[in-house]
Amino acid sequence: MADSKLDLLQGTLDLMVLQTLETLGSLHGYGIARRIEQVSEDQILLNQGTIYASLVRLQQRGWISAAWGVSDNNRKAKYYSITKDGRRQVRAERSNWERLAAVMGRVLAATGTGGHQ
Amino acid sequence: MTTPRQAWARLVSFFRKKELDREFDEELAAHIELATQDHIRQGKALPEARRLALLKLGGVELSKQVHRETRGLPWLDGIVQDIRYAVRAMRRSPGFTLAAIAMLALGIGVNAAVFTVTNAVLFKGFSYIDRHDRILYMTSVEGCCVSYPDFEDWRAQAKSFEGMAIVHGVQIVLSDKNGFPEYYYATEVSADTFKLIGQRPILGRDFAAPDETPGAAPVAILNYGFWERRYGKDPTIIGRTVRMNGALTTVIGVMARGFYFPQNQDLWVPLVPTPNVLRREARDTWFVFGRVTDGITMESARAEMETIGRRLERAYPLTNGGFLPVVRKFHEFYIGPHAALIYGSMWGAVGFVLLIACANLANLMLARAMVRSREISLRIALGAGRWRIIRQLLIESLMLSGLGGFFGWWIAKWGTHTYQLAAKAPGYSWFDHVLDYTMDYRVFVYLVAISIGTGILFGLAPATRLSKLDVNSTLKDGGRGATGGGRGKHLSALLVIAEMALAVVLLAGAGVMIRSFLNVYTADLGVQTEKILTAGLNLPVARYSHADARVSFYDLLQTRVEAIPGVESMAIASYIPTWNVQRFPFELAGAPPVDERRRPKISVLIISPAYFRTLGAAVLSGREFNEGDGVLGLPVLIVNQRFASRYWPGENPLGKRVRLFEGNMPGPWRTVVGAVSNIAQNDVARPESNFLVYLPYRQMPYEGGINVLVRARVPPGTLGNAFRQEVHALDSDLPMFGPFTLADRLLVNYWDRRLYGALFLIFAAIALLLASLGLYSVIAHSVSRRTQEIGIRMAIGAAARDVLKLIFVQGLLPVGIGLTIGLGASLAVNRVLESELVQVSPSDPITLVVVSVVLILAALLGCLIPARHAMRVDPVIALRHD
Repeated sequence: MADSKLDLLQGTLDLMVLQTLETLGSLHGYGIARRIEQVSEDQILLNQGTIYASLVRLQQRGWISAAWGVSDNNRKAKYYSITKDGRRQVRAERSNWERLAAVMGRVLAATGTGGHQ
Repeated sequence: MTTPRQAWARLVSFFRKKELDREFDEELAAHIELATQDHIRQGKALPEARRLALLKLGGVELSKQVHRETRGLPWLDGIVQDIRYAVRAMRRSPGFTLAAIAMLALGIGVNAAVFTVTNAVLFKGFSYIDRHDRILYMTSVEGCCVSYPDFEDWRAQAKSFEGMAIVHGVQIVLSDKNGFPEYYYATEVSADTFKLIGQRPILGRDFAAPDETPGAAPVAILNYGFWERRYGKDPTIIGRTVRMNGALTTVIGVMARGFYFPQNQDLWVPLVPTPNVLRREARDTWFVFGRVTDGITMESARAEMETIGRRLERAYPLTNGGFLPVVRKFHEFYIGPHAALIYGSMWGAVGFVLLIACANLANLMLARAMVRSREISLRIALGAGRWRIIRQLLIESLMLSGLGGFFGWWIAKWGTHTYQLAAKAPGYSWFDHVLDYTMDYRVFVYLVAISIGTGILFGLAPATRLSKLDVNSTLKDGGRGATGGGRGKHLSALLVIAEMALAVVLLAGAGVMIRSFLNVYTADLGVQTEKILTAGLNLPVARYSHADARVSFYDLLQTRVEAIPGVESMAIASYIPTWNVQRFPFELAGAPPVDERRRPKISVLIISPAYFRTLGAAVLSGREFNEGDGVLGLPVLIVNQRFASRYWPGENPLGKRVRLFEGNMPGPWRTVVGAVSNIAQNDVARPESNFLVYLPYRQMPYEGGINVLVRARVPPGTLGNAFRQEVHALDSDLPMFGPFTLADRLLVNYWDRRLYGALFLIFAAIALLLASLGLYSVIAHSVSRRTQEIGIRMAIGAAARDVLKLIFVQGLLPVGIGLTIGLGASLAVNRVLESELVQVSPSDPITLVVVSVVLILAALLGCLIPARHAMRVDPVIALRHD
């Protein structure tokens, strides 16, 4: 596991993007991609291009909004920020995710100790 | 899960493709630059930094595609692309495209037209009546007649009806300050008629119960069109009085525009029963309608009416014997008892036409598929999935059928209009305005549905066939894979077989219908119709209460009319030839007595002396009536030949005695003074049961309608005005029906059968045309595909005869199989038509032989042209042919 990168589960990228925007405020696509890579300590296999599909999805659902702005090095770039609906969504997804993770953890632990092998 | 918001955003994106693409290009460019600079900052050289940036992005084009698919509607993009592709393919072969669209437009068009007509006849009915399908129409025995006391009993006893009303059409003379006295059509109705059908006057008030009580002040409600024509839509007409047949009548209401019920009329008046009407034996041209109570089926309502009818028959055997109620739905009453069968078969016929068009199209598509199999193999080889290929081919066929449907709409429009003109009954039709032939949304939905269905039907077989192409062999052998192989050929032959079978069934059905019509049309009526003018007169009882007055009126009229130049003779009769004649119980002198309820009945006509001379019928023995056969003379009778040979076979009928009964009241014994040739009455289709006796008008000067018959030396139509003048000279207030020539008048007997015959002929012609075209195109195509083979055969010495044989066998084999199947099927299908057929068997051998010969000839012609082409093939050219 250590030398291979994690495949992203369906829908997890969207939550990561939302969470990133909630923490850091307004950010452009490259910035979001970098941030996710950094936070995951490069454990995630991420085609940066797929960030944009996720951004389109979130935008169409009304969870984030986009506006053209200027980057630090004076480059025109599109900046995304989370909306009120998006924050609500992030809270809901986060608690969902935590519950699921806890359950998964318990299930895997139970199988590990009580298995028949 | 897609939220509505997301769906909307995707749809918007679909239409903002260019703009969004440009924006995303910019965004990606920014991304790459930002990433590149990051890498440079980490110490990489520019080209390497840029390479790493692109690598991490995962490819520019891929990103763009994922972006596009996520934000928009990728399946719609695919369809748009397929449509563009289909348009290109259609442009590349304009001949095929035009032929396909023309065939489809024809097939879909006739279907939509027949749907419109059938919908109007079988389902719409009185479209402005609330739930008109709950209304039943009632008469006694075929089309005639209900007496007022019968109606009252029905209404009182029937539990299945919310209400019942009686209807009677009359002609009235109306005079007021707004114009000359004129004749108008009025309908006498029960006071609650409008309530029953859920209609109210738009102006004034409805009839109320007091309006129909004897002695009530006369009132009338106007039809909108009449109000517009005669009174210029003057609202102050309400409450004004006009004279109707001389009586002061108050106008109390106006009905809505376009409202007629139950026939065309100018106004409605309440039916006030007079003592004369209240007699149970007084049967006039009434009919009754009723609204069936919710929750009760039509069948149980019918059954209840039959029970009531039997009860009345038992209670009043003399007046009601044999007069059971006949209960009909709208189309059975207005169009005919077989309306559903006829319009249903018409629908079936055009369905067959469309199926034949489909078979043709499928075959053409298949043939074209062969030409295109290389192109499609290439697409498959380049990675197009099977579903993708099917979808693309289906979109092509749907576009063809869509265009066919578009033009079909106009064909349907034209067809419906033409039908409407053709279906107008000759002379005055009492329900012209009832049927609604507008092409409304239902027709549109139907047309769209059959267009889509057709597109899928003829597109699916070639599409699935093509999607299964063996890519390797097709690309290798130059595109022969799709249909050059056995299975394609089998499919094509199968389609030809189906097409032929459908054509045979359709043509055989149409054939027996047309023969049946011709049988009726050419039936010997026993009269010289072309020389005769007829008119209907009805002497008002008020002014002609004495029999003498009536007799002398017609005597005077005869003298005056016979003085018109060009007139040979004039006669009167209670019925014109071919019409249904009222029947009375009778008894032969010397016959054993029978129970009065079992007495046989005979059709009785009342005529004036010159009747047979005027119609051109022959007096076979004895004499005609003459002026001496009056009240003071011996009671006499004339029989037709069929009556004489049935009741006195081999004997001389003259001097025999017969008496007729009215109820159980025997009339006087009448002596037969003549026997005449047979004149058709009652059912023209069944002359063998046409037994008639004639009585002299002078001995039976009844009150009521009389038909005047005038025999002319000149074309009878030219005598109309002179005749009208003579009638008006005698009585200027007398309403008249006609005059019409007898030939025109008799058209009423045929027009519906003629109409149906013509329609089936048209459908059969279209089917024949389509089937022949289909056969031709299949054979022509297969010959052109086999040019090379034929060339080789001829090069190695095959004679022209062998080549011909090859082509004909290949072409005619499926035709023969299809013909056989079709003949078998038509024996079963035609049985459905049996009740409509007159003196022709549903499996009429002549029709079947003619149909087979016609189809085989069409098939031969279809083979001949490609065969001639094949014979001229130059082997050298053929061998080079690919």
